[in-house]
Amino acid sequence: MGERGRNMKRALALAFALIVVVAVAVFAGRTQSASAKPEADSLVGTGSTFVFPLVSKWIPAVDNALGIKVTYTGTGSGTGIAQVTARSVDFGASDAPLSPDQASACKSCVVIPWGLAGMSIPYNVPGLNGRLRLSGPVLANIFLGNITNWNSAAIKALNPGRNLPDKKITVVYRADSSGSTYAVTGYLSEVSPQWKSKVGQGTSVNFPVGTGARGSSGVAGVVKSTEGAITYVDAAYSITNHLQFATIKNRAGGYATPGVRGVTAAVSTLPKKITNIAQLKIVDPPTRAGKMAYPISTFTYVIVPTSSSKAGDLRKFIYWAVTQGQKFGPPLFFVPLPTSVKGFTYREIKKIQGT
Amino acid sequence: MSSVVAPDPHDLTVRSNGLRRRRIVEKLFGLLAVLSAVLACGILALVLGTLVFKGASQLNLDFFTKSRPLFGQTGGIADALVGSAIIIGMAMLMAIPVAILVAIYMSEYAGPKVSRSLRIILDVLNGVPAIVVGIFVFGLLVVGHGQSAVFGAFALAILMLPMVARATQEILEVVPQSLRHASLALGVTKWRTTWNVILPAAIGGILTGVVIAVARVAGETAPLLFTTSIAANAISVNIHQALPTLPVTIFSFSESADPGEQADAWAAALVLIGFVLVMNILAKLFAGRKRRKLEGS
Amino acid sequence: MTTTTFEPAAPETDLRRRGIRLGDLFFRGIAVAAALAATVLLGLIAWKVFDLARPAFQDFGLSFVWTEAWNPVTNDFGALIFIYGTVVTSLIALVLATPLSIAIALFLTEMAPRRVAGPIATMVELLAAIPSVVLGLWGILVFGPWVRDHLEPWLQSVLGFLPMFSGDPNQAGILPAALVLTIMIIPITSAICRELFLRVPRDLIDGSLALGSTRWEAIRGVMFAYAAPGIAAAVLLGLGRAFGEAIAVNQTIGNHSVIPSSWFAPGDSLGSKIASSYAGATSHLEASSLLYLAAILMVISLIANVSAQFIVVRFERARRGL
Repeated sequence: MGERGRNMKRALALAFALIVVVAVAVFAGRTQSASAKPEADSLVGTGSTFVFPLVSKWIPAVDNALGIKVTYTGTGSGTGIAQVTARSVDFGASDAPLSPDQASACKSCVVIPWGLAGMSIPYNVPGLNGRLRLSGPVLANIFLGNITNWNSAAIKALNPGRNLPDKKITVVYRADSSGSTYAVTGYLSEVSPQWKSKVGQGTSVNFPVGTGARGSSGVAGVVKSTEGAITYVDAAYSITNHLQFATIKNRAGGYATPGVRGVTAAVSTLPKKITNIAQLKIVDPPTRAGKMAYPISTFTYVIVPTSSSKAGDLRKFIYWAVTQGQKFGPPLFFVPLPTSVKGFTYREIKKIQGT
Repeated sequence: MSSVVAPDPHDLTVRSNGLRRRRIVEKLFGLLAVLSAVLACGILALVLGTLVFKGASQLNLDFFTKSRPLFGQTGGIADALVGSAIIIGMAMLMAIPVAILVAIYMSEYAGPKVSRSLRIILDVLNGVPAIVVGIFVFGLLVVGHGQSAVFGAFALAILMLPMVARATQEILEVVPQSLRHASLALGVTKWRTTWNVILPAAIGGILTGVVIAVARVAGETAPLLFTTSIAANAISVNIHQALPTLPVTIFSFSESADPGEQADAWAAALVLIGFVLVMNILAKLFAGRKRRKLEGS
Repeated sequence: MTTTTFEPAAPETDLRRRGIRLGDLFFRGIAVAAALAATVLLGLIAWKVFDLARPAFQDFGLSFVWTEAWNPVTNDFGALIFIYGTVVTSLIALVLATPLSIAIALFLTEMAPRRVAGPIATMVELLAAIPSVVLGLWGILVFGPWVRDHLEPWLQSVLGFLPMFSGDPNQAGILPAALVLTIMIIPITSAICRELFLRVPRDLIDGSLALGSTRWEAIRGVMFAYAAPGIAAAVLLGLGRAFGEAIAVNQTIGNHSVIPSSWFAPGDSLGSKIASSYAGATSHLEASSLLYLAAILMVISLIANVSAQFIVVRFERARRGL
């Protein structure tokens, strides 16, 4: 009986230890809750990877400034929309505004712009001397699969004197539901009737060619490791991963970069008073925006239920984000919100009430 | 008068003609068998070797004490280790008692038909893909309430239950009937017999099953993807919120372009595999002890 | 001469008898409750998946299964693309893994000396212990590029006349995913085969050897014939495992929602699509269609697993009757 008894005792001891560990965790969690009231001062959100670099800077800063602990993971704008609709998070972040169907499914959610940046088009073309120039129609043809090689005539025409190698183009797109996809397909739909009819705009579309990867990180990763690849991703990811990105021809004929100046020019033609999210479409800006205007710029939004148990913290957090938070933007190529847009955000923030 | 009889087609000795050819065939297939074994071991060595080669350099103190990094920072896996430990612990508490009870029911109480039906149910449960378990728990619990470590643990428990139950049931079957009869004949009640006589005899096998199940479930990503993936980048023990876990962390790092995050992915994978290997070795020790015990007794 | 007699235990009082019955009743009660809980859990999973898939089922009906489409913009959904990905990657893995697993099992049971067999068997088991996310990580960063740079060009040079080995090499696609699945199912299938081969009665093989067959002929003629149903079951179990693998496939298959003409090109599978898109499904119909995919995945995994059990039961029973 000795051996068995010992094993039995060991098993019971293990079980007891487990119970103790979990009990400690539960208890500690509860005391954590009781003392610092984190249920009251913690916000959980998810969504856009595009805005993740900026939110990453906000998280410690807003903890210092307001004592609110924000938890955020980049899972894609579609997930942000879906999760806040399912009320499994306190807020969702998305570079795509809600469609009418999504808005009704979300049951009175507000959509508040809190970031503004350019969608870079990074590529991995070995041996290229200098930065690649692309135009909207050429980009659309690449993503449609009409242009399949880097040394094709259309690309050569825009880039005289560059060493374009004989290399297959590998299109990389977002496999997850993405606001970056929404922004870039919005642009492609504007500049290419074939794209508009064949594929259209959305957070998740049927890309005719290419490979999918998850998250802004994922597409940047594939481009980095695949020669001949091209994708679309928030400018901050291109910079931090040392990926070259293209200059895109705008309506004024200039080749613009997705930096602060390019995006500022792109929003320069916004109306003085914003009353509707639909007015915030800034892809393919008009000619009067100038030669610096970057054609694939996008706002990014936070989506919040108007009746939330965390309304107070949400209002404080979002107000801080659209005012003080904006100063963290420029090093990450996010442009501070224009005044007209800020007015719109203040009005929307007021709509967030408690339950 | 000699008659020539056609060779019997089932007679193996005349299947092939010529002894030399048969010997060559024999050697050839022997070689293939050896090569296959070498290939399998080679792949294992390759994967483990890559992990060690690319990940070992990241295993410094910072890696084990800092939490997962936000954008543009460096960090470690401290919060993911804590989260994984808590979630696996909770999953064990949820699954093991139920699994053992199911196995006891099947082997001690239920009739043969019920027992067989339960065996089928457990096998079917075992065959449900982990991703389906993940979306089941999401649809049932996370919608409307938010993610939490408890839900993640519940999803892992669903995966552990059939493994532990089957292992326990198989070992209970091996426990000699004479033990049960002797105990009952002495007047011990059925439940005391089970609890004080049968279970201790089976404990080695049960522990083996538990350890194997834990090793399997420690590396599962899919059930946690939808139930406990939105977690703060800081060590937390609040089980009512989502906690970071090692497999989900590896999953997100694995697709990153940042070589720093990739190196972190290798190192985290090394830690995870280290844990899984230790569990497997433990299981072998328990199994060895069980076999010796049951053979000796 | 004294005879020792065993007196039966003194009759307990009514109270104690009732107490004992209570203990037994309680214990039996919680055992029954546990068994019920397991059953209810399975039913709940099945019900929830089919319930959440119902809107898509009502919209598309059974034709969803053979519809080749997945377009969230036009709300056009179908499962064929992903069934193709799941089935093709799993079948390739099966075709590659089965002979390898049988060979490994044979090596361990018939050829290797005891001292070598132990460690090698352990190593093969450890291959099973590698978590799928780690294998996927290795697949993305190491194996995929190797496949793209070495394996696929070689295959193209040798078998390029076949459509599935033509086209440009990619680091993510049907082939890398299938190869990763192969690595995952080899340990399962070879472990079961090893158990089977150990159980083959030695006298059958000895008899064959005594009649002058070579060892390989004895194995082929006797062992395989005896273990054939078990091998079939092992293969089916490996197939079930391959069907259900979502994470490692998601990392290596390229996530392109089409049926590719070449195995070098990216595609998608049932589990991988669910992992990519479920959390971000923004329309009710898309979420429901993904659950429809999950239901299909559950069904084909079930068929593989149940077939394996069925073969084992039927042939084991037949064999015991012999």
